[in-house]
Amino acid sequence: MALTPKDLLAFYRTMVTIRTFETKAAELFAAGKLPGFVHLYIGEEAAATGVCANLTDADYITSTHRGHGHLIAKGGRVDLMMAELYGKATGYCKGKGGSMHIADVDLGILGANGIVGAGQPIAVGAAFACKYRGNGTVAVCFFGDGAANRGTFHEALNLASIWKLPVVFICENNMYGISNCQRDHMNIVDIADRAAAYGIPGATVDGNDVVAVYEAAAEAVRRARGGDGPSLIECKTWRWRGHFEGDPGAYKNPDEQKAWLAKDPIPRLAQKLIDLGHATAADLAAIDDEVKAQVAAAVDFAEQSPDPDPADVLTDVYAS
Amino acid sequence: MATVGIIANPASGKDIRRLVAYGTVFDNQEKVNIVRRILLGLAAAGVSRVLYMPDYYGIVPRAVEGLSSRDRPPLDLAAADIRLTATQDDSMHAAAAMVEAGARCLVTLGGDGTSRMVAKGCGDVPVLALSTGTNNVFPVMLEGTAAGLAAGVVACGAAGGPDVVRRAKKLTILKNGRPADTALIDAVVLEDSFVGSRAIWDVGQLRQIVLTRGEPHNIGISAIGGQLAPVGPFEPRGLAVACGAPVAAVLAPIAPGVVVPVTYEHYREIAPGEEVPVARTPCILALDGEREVEVRAGEQVSIRLDLDGPAVVDHKAALAAAAASGYFRLPPPAAQNPGRKP
Amino acid sequence: MKKMTYAEAIRDGLRVEMQRDPSVYLCGEDVGKFGGCFGVTAGLVDEFPGRVLDTPITETAIIGSAVGAAAAGLRPVAEIMFVDFTGVCMDELFNQASKMRYMFGGKAKVPMVLRTICGGGLGAAAQHSQCMEAWFAHIPGIKTVLPATPADAKGLMAAAIRDDNPVVYIEHKQLLGLSGDVPAGEYLVPLGQADIKRAGGDVTIVTWSWMVHRALAAAEALAREGIAAEIIDLRSVVPLDKETILKSVAKTNKLVIVHEAVKTGGFGGEVAAVVAEEGFDLLDTPIKRVTAPDTPVPFSAVLEKAYLPSEGKIIQAVKELF
Repeated sequence: MALTPKDLLAFYRTMVTIRTFETKAAELFAAGKLPGFVHLYIGEEAAATGVCANLTDADYITSTHRGHGHLIAKGGRVDLMMAELYGKATGYCKGKGGSMHIADVDLGILGANGIVGAGQPIAVGAAFACKYRGNGTVAVCFFGDGAANRGTFHEALNLASIWKLPVVFICENNMYGISNCQRDHMNIVDIADRAAAYGIPGATVDGNDVVAVYEAAAEAVRRARGGDGPSLIECKTWRWRGHFEGDPGAYKNPDEQKAWLAKDPIPRLAQKLIDLGHATAADLAAIDDEVKAQVAAAVDFAEQSPDPDPADVLTDVYAS
Repeated sequence: MATVGIIANPASGKDIRRLVAYGTVFDNQEKVNIVRRILLGLAAAGVSRVLYMPDYYGIVPRAVEGLSSRDRPPLDLAAADIRLTATQDDSMHAAAAMVEAGARCLVTLGGDGTSRMVAKGCGDVPVLALSTGTNNVFPVMLEGTAAGLAAGVVACGAAGGPDVVRRAKKLTILKNGRPADTALIDAVVLEDSFVGSRAIWDVGQLRQIVLTRGEPHNIGISAIGGQLAPVGPFEPRGLAVACGAPVAAVLAPIAPGVVVPVTYEHYREIAPGEEVPVARTPCILALDGEREVEVRAGEQVSIRLDLDGPAVVDHKAALAAAAASGYFRLPPPAAQNPGRKP
Repeated sequence: MKKMTYAEAIRDGLRVEMQRDPSVYLCGEDVGKFGGCFGVTAGLVDEFPGRVLDTPITETAIIGSAVGAAAAGLRPVAEIMFVDFTGVCMDELFNQASKMRYMFGGKAKVPMVLRTICGGGLGAAAQHSQCMEAWFAHIPGIKTVLPATPADAKGLMAAAIRDDNPVVYIEHKQLLGLSGDVPAGEYLVPLGQADIKRAGGDVTIVTWSWMVHRALAAAEALAREGIAAEIIDLRSVVPLDKETILKSVAKTNKLVIVHEAVKTGGFGGEVAAVVAEEGFDLLDTPIKRVTAPDTPVPFSAVLEKAYLPSEGKIIQAVKELF
């Protein structure tokens, strides 16, 4: 379980890639270049990164409307993602899905999802497929505090528990379901407490500490691969932006926002890497620059890509 | 006016040891239930004012709210004057604020980690620590009503003295010669770089262990000492174990349900005031079961055994003393109610 | 050929496909040890260990997990005990199963079957007797089939399982005991292919599921009065076999649509619209619909009889065209 400098630098790169992609998406949305709804993951990078570092391409994830970070952490390509945000023919979904529906089934990404809580039973089904095949693969379900109130949560955790499925439920508790603060939408504070109701282990971790998330997910994934059944991990984190771009988030307490910005997972890891002598500030700046160039190239790719052919509105409804 | 402080840690019993070990899940509703019984015990013992640590869940206010109006005791309840940070520092600050506000006894709900933070703020005020955490060497398993009664008689002055309140030991962490932190049970040097998810479960990372106490029935790192050379909670000595080379091995329950072989090089008794230097840096220091302190390369760190730890209430002795003095005896009931004739 | 009931034919279809493809599994409430609420899956749990799974009462997770398992490469046949219960798992069907392929740009397949049962006549009242096929037909991305005979039940089940799309397979309670000849071994009825259950040149009756049999009985009576009705059993409402309908209407110039579901928003309206749009000139008379009224399904046998489309109502509707 000891993390190597290489692992840690990979964490750093992934988190910076998510941050850079999302920051660019915010900018492009504000400039009117991205249609539709865009929900950004800024501030929550450690959760997706720490969890997905335990997975292979053969493992599955289900994601959410706030899914860009999960996709990047699971190995999704930023150029295809950006083109999809633009609605271009070269995008992950040929412009048919957009930000909320990006998927890459070959990478085990069973889709972002526009319905809060919908991924929970889907992940259970993917985990059933893993167990049915008996090949040691697992499914991870990302969802938020809001989705922990859906009926899907109850049904999914119950079924996963009785069938002892290899699924890890990752609750990214970013403290808000749209505008509704967790204090007002549930009468408990630690969502991991709910695990006990399903007879599965639950733990709460600092979701802004990528190493803490990694360690917890490593254990939950090990249990899942070993046939020990599901786990629930709650990552306490904070949504920096509004629910969607264009939502100023006026319902958030500015003091809380300030306190959480100070817990930014990226500088926390950067400082650690420098302290441990795994990287210099210059090394990290070089990674930042590489990522910036990669995201800039993704924007160029998207902008230069063709729009879909209008005739394609009719294709891909059914598999033939 | 007898005042008692209640520090109920909303985060105890939640961490990754539910995953890596078989730690009890202590949801906050159960803590609310326990506090309810404590409040009733305190009131019955004559306590009139209760200060509580505010927390993000509102354990104590919820406890009061849930009491039937018939049973609601006439307690003056107030939140301790602290700025809530939703970190473990809240427990320390609350303890200090309660002491400042005149609390004569503190009741805590948590595990060893919570007790450690309270000890950093409680000064000379006695503590009755109840177990709602993961590793529970310092706190006791005790029914809330009894805890309320015991803390109440101490706060009201009906029980006291060296049989009832005793000083626990502590470990002082010295960084470059200056006290940097405190542990109540164990300080462990780990070959690791991260505080991460805080818990310890990989015994392969153990390098040094320093214990204030360790008995064979303990759960946690102190269990290792308990198997090698037991030290009682109030004996004026400690134990140091070096885990560098695997010379010998012992089986010990280092976490709930985790009974594993631990290899060690040697162990020795340590005397009060003795400093055990941390042999190798960088490293991580785990205090009372949780990774806490990051030690950078080249830092001079040592661990000192001290006898002036927190004052601890022996609940059995406290209640025995109160009973012996007739504290709970009541005046003879007035003439029997004659009842209605059939 | 082998004589078997509709229920046995469904089971035979499931069995053959499970033998053929190890990625097929069954799940649902009471489908295992209990053999299904109507006994359709009886014995399969022993024939296919680990592949027939009793679930809790958890419609959302039954269909949601089937979507996930299908997207991950298995071929689930997930049962919802009564079609009336599909409201509980509607999101999983209409936002997830049906849209995944399109939303993901054609890169996902969701080869699952939602097995369920519809229909009245058993005094099961308003929440256990409905016919909801029009709901499913309104969702692009899924296919919906309703077999009316034992042979079709087997062949459509096999085709539904082999199809790479979500298929809603709707059985009918009144048909479970119906006996008929069923081909042995592998047998497929292609999805989207209507079947002319009785040929005739005077009027086209388009129908499906249980009503096929009421329409056939009506046709028999009409024949005695010299009216030759052609009975088209759609078998699949999506994909819709427009060609067979239009061809028949071209011959008869008259169309009656019979379905058990309520009238407003029923699938009969879609059939009528297709013929009006694409075959208006073929019609000599207005299109007639024989359906249940726009009410919930009543409980009392007297009321339910009044509610259900009958042979008499079909005959009357046909005669109004002459």
